[in-house]
Amino acid sequence: MKARITYQPGHSFLHRLHPLVKTAWLVLGTVLVFVVHSPWPVWGAVALLLVGFFLAGARLGQVRGSRLFVTTALLLGLLQVLFVQEGSTLLDIGPLTVTTGGLQAAAYVAGRFLAVILLSYLFVLTTEPNDLAYALMRAGLPYRYGFALITALRLVPTFEQEGQIVYNAQLARGIEYDVRSPRRFVTLARQFFMPLLVSALGRVDSLSVSMEGRCFGKYPERTFLRQVRMGAGDWGAVAVLIVVGVVGTLVYW
Amino acid sequence: MIAIEGLSFSFAGSTRPALHDVDLHVAPGEFVAIAGPSGCGKSTLALAIGGYLFRQYEGQAGGRVSVASMDVQQRPIHDVAEIVGLVQQNPEAQFCTLTVQDELAFGLENRRLPPDEICERMGWALSIVGAEHLADRSLVELSGGEKQKVAVAAMMATKPQVLIFDEPTSNLDPTATADIFEVIARIREKADVTVIVIEHKLDYLRPFAPRMVVMESGRIVYDGPFEGAPRPPDLLSRQSPPIPATGDGRGAVVRVEDLHAGYDGTRALHGVSVEFHPGESVAVMGDNGSGKTTFVHSLLGLLKPQQGRVEVLGHDTRQVPVSRMARQVGLIFQNPDHQLFADSVWEEAVLAPRNLDLLDGRTRQLVEEYLQRGGLGQRLDDHPHRLSYGEKRRLNLISILSYDPQIILLDEVLIGQDPASAAFLLELVRERVEGGSTAVMVNHAPQVSQAYATRLLFFDGGQIVVDAPPDEAFDRLAAMGRDAYLPPGKVASKAAGAPMATARQDKRPASATPGLVPKGQP
Repeated sequence: MKARITYQPGHSFLHRLHPLVKTAWLVLGTVLVFVVHSPWPVWGAVALLLVGFFLAGARLGQVRGSRLFVTTALLLGLLQVLFVQEGSTLLDIGPLTVTTGGLQAAAYVAGRFLAVILLSYLFVLTTEPNDLAYALMRAGLPYRYGFALITALRLVPTFEQEGQIVYNAQLARGIEYDVRSPRRFVTLARQFFMPLLVSALGRVDSLSVSMEGRCFGKYPERTFLRQVRMGAGDWGAVAVLIVVGVVGTLVYW
Repeated sequence: MIAIEGLSFSFAGSTRPALHDVDLHVAPGEFVAIAGPSGCGKSTLALAIGGYLFRQYEGQAGGRVSVASMDVQQRPIHDVAEIVGLVQQNPEAQFCTLTVQDELAFGLENRRLPPDEICERMGWALSIVGAEHLADRSLVELSGGEKQKVAVAAMMATKPQVLIFDEPTSNLDPTATADIFEVIARIREKADVTVIVIEHKLDYLRPFAPRMVVMESGRIVYDGPFEGAPRPPDLLSRQSPPIPATGDGRGAVVRVEDLHAGYDGTRALHGVSVEFHPGESVAVMGDNGSGKTTFVHSLLGLLKPQQGRVEVLGHDTRQVPVSRMARQVGLIFQNPDHQLFADSVWEEAVLAPRNLDLLDGRTRQLVEEYLQRGGLGQRLDDHPHRLSYGEKRRLNLISILSYDPQIILLDEVLIGQDPASAAFLLELVRERVEGGSTAVMVNHAPQVSQAYATRLLFFDGGQIVVDAPPDEAFDRLAAMGRDAYLPPGKVASKAAGAPMATARQDKRPASATPGLVPKGQP
């Protein structure tokens, strides 16, 4: 079974990078990939990202969805080859005409797609969401929003697990997911979600008792034990990002 | 410290008061245990002392509650929380963060304490619960007992004057339960705090000799010394004659051969082989995470073997869909809320037989009879989620027993059940076993295994390490040092001097474990 698209613990440079620096790379990197108009820098970025995966020890082939996005990139490229008819003709067999412009567009579109997806994957696989939430709060995000994010992170696996339990309990009662009619579908959906809803409400009760019982919301600000400081590596990554951003913008804007 | 006078409370939409004219005065440093059947108002009383009842729940309140001279009804919860800490039943449900450190720091950061003081208090709280080694761990990696220790430490770090434990061990196995009571003992020794423990497991409370408050239907019916308190009817140790062992000579209904299985690619079972026969009542025990639930799920085919073979009534579980297997194998899961699907009690009770095309006149008659016996006869049109916890559990059982499956699988169905409610469930199962069915019951109560099982399987590390009739099994568990899993009689005989091996030393409520000697006791 392939791993979920989620944080994979590690100690690489990318893992240790400040979450906000990685967020800046994610946002600006994505913008840059769309700003440049040439396939070469885009494929250069893809190559660098693959090196990043290697350095981070993240095994892309073992992550769920990796085959899907590679296939999608190939299909996007194929569509460009088939429909973009610019430049000189390289191949002409019946209805199929392959041009230099088509190939260039294919390389650009597929590369851009891959670069954005790989950048996002690398970010997700090397960034602990909890660290990101705390870093955002330290950077000024109101702590109520920060903890909304942390609560969501905490509850998603729980709900996933509960969904599996409810599904198993339904199988044990002979409920079959044989959707014969819209009415049957509605019944099945209700029977599935009602136990989850009841359970979720119970959890909300417990959690609110637990949070309020520890003075959550008593003051507009709170202190933080976690000290997330920028190291030399973080400043270096910021400097590189600025240089790449400036050069990319000057050359391709 | 706590003064409650004439407290009554009715939840909105309920005709029955949850609390009725309750008077309770607790002195600073006192240790109070609150007991009573499910739904008697114990947890509601805890919510009232913490102020939650008046701020988070809609309803009609009367009377007065004050803690450390603070009028709890008039003050915001975070003011009351400076004095009162509440540890809830389910450790997981009360976590606000994802790591042990964040969780311990949470309440202190909210109080705007500086990082130095937070660190100091975290170290102190972890040392009190004996969990210093967990400081750098992620919460999701911890066992149930470790999670509850962290939850207690998180409360202790805030240095409350009153600490309330609301059934802190109901989700824990016996080993972890003993651990938590040891933590409570340490808190009594090392911290100056008033402790209130709401608990069904009275044996664990005896060493503390607490002041005992017993509730019933929202009222306090006893308030005095522990020894004089009315005991709940001990229906579990009714000791009806044991069911004849090892079936009646017919062939095995379940054959498990070298089973390796687990969820999400992991392995929870490592080479389990066992056979069950008609008329057997099999108790399955072991620490949480030892593979009990995986084993039970494998018997219905919810989980297919990664290696080995499970044959139920002659069918390989790999070959037969679960929905077909369910005709002969009824399974109830741990949490009743996860398995109520219909819109009325009656529809829920007949849901499984209807889905399995087994709803005939006889089944309807049986359902009616069971619902009457389970006290649900007058509630046929009510929504199942409006029932009490105990009632939901009874309805779960009725919904599978009604179509008379040959094999009955029960996964920790006694959690949170008071003795009377538990006895009803166990008696129904016993009747079916006497009628030739096979029951496999995962449970944590040695008395239940002793009184209701013909055979006991003990799981450890994904393997069956003991498989014997209960009496013999308990002797072997005693020899293995698994004292937390012994019924009181066996513990007494061990204490009387029977030589035992000490492969693993567990704690036991009534034993002379040093940490369990409460403050002020010799």
